[in-house]
Amino acid sequence: MVPITYYLLLAAALFCMGMFGVLVRRNALVVFMCVELMLNAANLTFLAFARMRGDSIGHVSAFFVIAVAAAEAAIGLAIVIAVFRSRGSVLVEDIRTMKH
Amino acid sequence: MNLPNLVLADFLPLLPAIIMVAGASILLLSEVFLSATSSRAYQAVLTVVTAVAAGAVAVALMFEPPQEVLLGFGVLDPFSSFLTLVVCVGLGLAALSAVSFLRKRGAERGEFYALMLFASAGMSLLAMSNELITVFVNVEVLSIATYALTAYLRRGTRPSEAGFKYFILGAFSSAVLLYGAALLYGATGTTQLTAMVGPLGAAMQSQPGLVYTGVVLVGAGFAFKVAAVPFHMWTPDVYEGAPTPVTALMSAGVKAAAFASMVRVFITVGKGIDPQMLLALFSTLAFLTMVAGNLLAIPQRNVKRMLAYSSIAHAGYLLVGVAALFVTAPGESFRLLGASALTGGTALDVARAEALRGILYYLLAYTFSAVGAFAMVSALERREDEEKGTAWDLERFSGLAQRRPGWAFAMAAFMLSLGGIPPTIGFMSKLLIFQAAVDAGLIGLTIVGVLSSAAGVYYYLRVVVYMFMRPVPEGAQVLERSWSTELALVLSTAAVVVLGIIPGPVMGWLVQASTIFGQ
Repeated sequence: MVPITYYLLLAAALFCMGMFGVLVRRNALVVFMCVELMLNAANLTFLAFARMRGDSIGHVSAFFVIAVAAAEAAIGLAIVIAVFRSRGSVLVEDIRTMKH
Repeated sequence: MNLPNLVLADFLPLLPAIIMVAGASILLLSEVFLSATSSRAYQAVLTVVTAVAAGAVAVALMFEPPQEVLLGFGVLDPFSSFLTLVVCVGLGLAALSAVSFLRKRGAERGEFYALMLFASAGMSLLAMSNELITVFVNVEVLSIATYALTAYLRRGTRPSEAGFKYFILGAFSSAVLLYGAALLYGATGTTQLTAMVGPLGAAMQSQPGLVYTGVVLVGAGFAFKVAAVPFHMWTPDVYEGAPTPVTALMSAGVKAAAFASMVRVFITVGKGIDPQMLLALFSTLAFLTMVAGNLLAIPQRNVKRMLAYSSIAHAGYLLVGVAALFVTAPGESFRLLGASALTGGTALDVARAEALRGILYYLLAYTFSAVGAFAMVSALERREDEEKGTAWDLERFSGLAQRRPGWAFAMAAFMLSLGGIPPTIGFMSKLLIFQAAVDAGLIGLTIVGVLSSAAGVYYYLRVVVYMFMRPVPEGAQVLERSWSTELALVLSTAAVVVLGIIPGPVMGWLVQASTIFGQ
């Protein structure tokens, strides 16, 4: 059996990749995918710990997270489409009308 | 696995949220039967009625003893009921100011109000959540509705941009919060806050790294939601680009609910780990947020953006109250100032109850003042100027006192209240929160708070100066009146002034409401 630590390390790596991607990627869709990656990293952590402890809360949590992620994907893609329709681009640097 | 045996009465504590969801469903379903030209005036009325009904139920529930509901996944305590009341106040006022805003843009549709109600239901449930996954799900319920509301006027470039930024940073912060929750689950083997206290202490001995990472990530997630510096970058753009009534709901409701949940989670966490760490964390956040929020607001000529930065500053004052919750030994001054205010319990309990009371009163005060100010901003803005970004310039307020003295008086009351000048509710609430901080011994933080709020008076009073001392500009727009916006203005002005002079009744509730479950 694969030790639990490996799962946790993989999850941590996925989380960091997602976080890094949100901060540096230019395409809105890729940024969005990176957010999903972070959610799934959290899922993997929940599942690994649930397996380690042999209780069900972690498994149940993962289902809730999947459902929430689906709802988030729906609204997120709708917003990306709205951005594309109003600007013709989904590059993050183009989405910057308001002054700082 | 044994299934829980729930009866209908178990759902009674959720009644405010159930009322709001029912109202939202009625709005959505009735929209199906309307043609494009039908009158939609009833929608705002229905929303306000729903908000009033939910608020009344919340007041009734405030006198219930603190208890676990739904197997401990949530709690009903006066703290959460008061929070629901604050959310209902914000919702009702924001819905009133939305009527003419939407009519001017030809965007009156049922889903706008339905989304507002769904978001508010999420806020009410978030304040009650006592389990990390429930917290996450409710954060998402309110956030997803608010993302949609932000991008509601989707044809414009600004709303879609604001919606996009809000969505990405909101989803990012939710993911950070969730990962932190997963680590805390790993360390303790439970996600229920009440059950977490004991295992957390044990886990601190065996795997402190896991616990600390979890706590910091959960804290960072919440810091994003309440717009604490350095996690505030999204706030100005989102607040500016979102439709003004939505900005009002965000600044009042979303922030209040996030603060409530943060307080609940960290009070529990603070019992398991060293509260000194939390004190350091929240003191730093409070310091940065107060100073940066006020300094960034000073150069803003765009009133809507100025209010966005000021909302960051107000989050800073609230964080002072949160920091005061984690003081382990109250300061010397405690005996001089606060001991006479309350009786019973140890000095520490009294200091904590004072801090909670300060936070709750501040949230109520900020809701009235900020939602009123945003209602005023929405009454003055014109659709044509939005794309140019001049719709919210200070010039809009020039000579307002000569044209609409009532509006100018209301706006002056909101500005004085946000600036913390007596006799307004804003002054009372700042007094309470800083008094709690002094009693807890956070003298340095209080001094920074008072000084930075004195700096804040500058940009609030600038609006008043423009309204009362500048001449009316030539070719100024015609100011259309609308019953709903004026009703919102009258109600919030009355609350700001009356509760600033006689805080009596609400204060009575507050002593009650500072009872938090498990304290």
